Amino acid sequence: MNTKQEPQRFVIPIGPQHPALKEPGNFQFTVDGEIVTKAIVRLGYAHRGIEKAAEERTWIQDLYLIERVCGICSHIHALAYCLAVEQLAHVEAPPRAQAIRVLVAELERIHSHFLWMGVSGHEAGFDTFFMYSWRDRERVMNILEKLTGNRVNYSANVLGGVKFDLDQEQIASIRGGIDFLEERTRHYLDVVATDFMFLQRTRGIGVMSRAQAEIMGAVGPTARASNVARDVRKDAPYAAYKEYPVDIILDERGDLEARFEVRLKELFESFHLIRKILDTLPGGELTARMPRKVPAGEAVMRVEAPRGELLYFIRSNGSDKPERLKIRTPTICNLTSVVKLAIGHQLADVPMILAGIDPCFSCNDRSVQIRTSNDPDGRMLSWDELRQHGIDFYKRLEK
Amino acid sequence: MNSEEIITVATGVVKSWDWATETSRPLPKQLDVKVKLIKELVPIIVGLRVKRLGYLAAITGIDLGPEVGEMDVLYQFCPGDVVITLRVRVPRQEAMLPSLCEIIPSAEVFERELQEMFGIQMLGLHTTEHLYLPDDWPDGVYPMRKDFDPQILSH
Amino acid sequence: MKSHQNFGQQLLKSLKDWARVSSPWVLHFNTGSCNGCDIEILATLTPRYDLERLGVKLQASPRQADILLCTGPVTRQARERLVRIYAQMPEPKYVVAIGSCAISGGVFRGCYNVMDGIDQVIPVSAYIPGCPPRPEAVIDGLVKVLASIHSPGHKIPSDILEGALDPEKVAA
Repeated sequence: MNTKQEPQRFVIPIGPQHPALKEPGNFQFTVDGEIVTKAIVRLGYAHRGIEKAAEERTWIQDLYLIERVCGICSHIHALAYCLAVEQLAHVEAPPRAQAIRVLVAELERIHSHFLWMGVSGHEAGFDTFFMYSWRDRERVMNILEKLTGNRVNYSANVLGGVKFDLDQEQIASIRGGIDFLEERTRHYLDVVATDFMFLQRTRGIGVMSRAQAEIMGAVGPTARASNVARDVRKDAPYAAYKEYPVDIILDERGDLEARFEVRLKELFESFHLIRKILDTLPGGELTARMPRKVPAGEAVMRVEAPRGELLYFIRSNGSDKPERLKIRTPTICNLTSVVKLAIGHQLADVPMILAGIDPCFSCNDRSVQIRTSNDPDGRMLSWDELRQHGIDFYKRLEK
Repeated sequence: MNSEEIITVATGVVKSWDWATETSRPLPKQLDVKVKLIKELVPIIVGLRVKRLGYLAAITGIDLGPEVGEMDVLYQFCPGDVVITLRVRVPRQEAMLPSLCEIIPSAEVFERELQEMFGIQMLGLHTTEHLYLPDDWPDGVYPMRKDFDPQILSH
Repeated sequence: MKSHQNFGQQLLKSLKDWARVSSPWVLHFNTGSCNGCDIEILATLTPRYDLERLGVKLQASPRQADILLCTGPVTRQARERLVRIYAQMPEPKYVVAIGSCAISGGVFRGCYNVMDGIDQVIPVSAYIPGCPPRPEAVIDGLVKVLASIHSPGHKIPSDILEGALDPEKVAA
């Protein structure tokens, strides 16, 4: 008879529906008392099969698909895709377009960092911080909407350039917004660095050394908070980053506090960059001519998304559709580090550690129709009927 | 190190393992390496890692279709502004590759992706559980292959 | 005697409706969307739009929720969870599909891993279109759902598709 008893293990599942995660991911933490001893991650709740779908659509259709890889960083995905396709087609977007691309990318970084700051404040139980930062975030959303006409999927890029231009009124409103946000960022930096209650949740939690960050392939602010100088904007400048260089913000501590500070200090770089672009916006065309068919070849494009390095690989076979499109998002690199870092921490700290890498498991119509069961006037259209209706509608408009 | 030095060092690593390995530079800051034998892959990657050029950015699989009967696997390393690509070609039937998890822990997610999306068996990877695909996904169906037919998935 | 009972029941029902409409608790579940709709839902709850002034509270557990806010085209992996969350909610329950993906699959329609819309899996009471819908649209949609709870001829959606869900199959 086996008298030796297996030690009791408790497995705590987190997700896919969880108040702390706005996105579906499933984690299983094995705990010994309060201490996490093992962590398993399961993705795929948001796996939609975009890479396969991209092979079946044309280059232009893909642009709209790619923008919807992630709703938070839609511009940077589209930018990476456009730059890679332009590289394949030997087309270069005009300087004014490149500058506007960088401008929107930096505005997107501001919106993303404010969003992250609020959500991770929420994880720490600091809801006041959450509400304030989201209130201020609306300011940058206003700017983005004024600029592009959309709050989330800006759709600024087209193959070969950008869709819209800036006028003086918009430039003035961006400047005003940036001044306001800079002042608020200074305040938040002060909060995360001095608030005693908050520091108890961040200082010394989830420490990742430089060697660990390098071997686990961490990217973006997560890596830079561990003193790994890895920033594509600096290492391999794309779009207009050659003309508008940025400084890398580094921190040696590698804990959650450092990750907060690195992201907030990065915002000052973004403000600085945006002002510089507005001061010296080059003139000229907005788009360059793009061929419908892209020559055969391969392109690798790396860009710095708000969460870290984003890599696109495209192989073209000379037709109007890509043969292979590979997207490597920053979260997939950083996720390995979370799974390793969580071990040895208290379970209560795990949501904070998870939020610390800013995970993103994925990346105009204003009328509302309610379907009630006893609505005699209601008419249901099938998908094809709706499509036909749309085509007829616009044909009538053209006449 | 600047990009020229990185490329020189990386070429040195590759050539010192097997002087006949083909290398090319499609763009000034890209180095392409055709790895002829799969068993050469791990030593070359260890060499890159020792020289601190081993930031593995991605492992990309490309199915060339049933007519060709082969698949490309690209190991992309991004030190600084250089992209080093190691190319391996595996057959579609019973494809096998060595796992890099022992050398580069972050390779696990990419390898699990190759395993379930392309059906490449990773030797040394201890899990065959799905990472992206649903739990009730049929066995032996690999969505990223060119001859994948979504009809077999009944709603 | 009978009319007294009826009156009592009606009073109870209108009291319940009043409570439900004045303070609906919502649950948010992302079934594989791109986050665009999710951040707009969050933006709706935060100070600029402040959905909480209508008594709406974001609730973490399906057991206490009245309204399920769903985003995303429903991936195969999330399908079973969606059904489970729906089954765990107490009656009467309302489902709001937010965004083009939740309505029809949107840009992901036809992808191998998606089910093309929430209503392929669970019954839906309201659709809010947009990619993503603006916070104003989310508020408008929710207000219309609440108004429909008030209207006398309203049937709760779980009656419409009776038997679509077998509670025994779904481990609650």
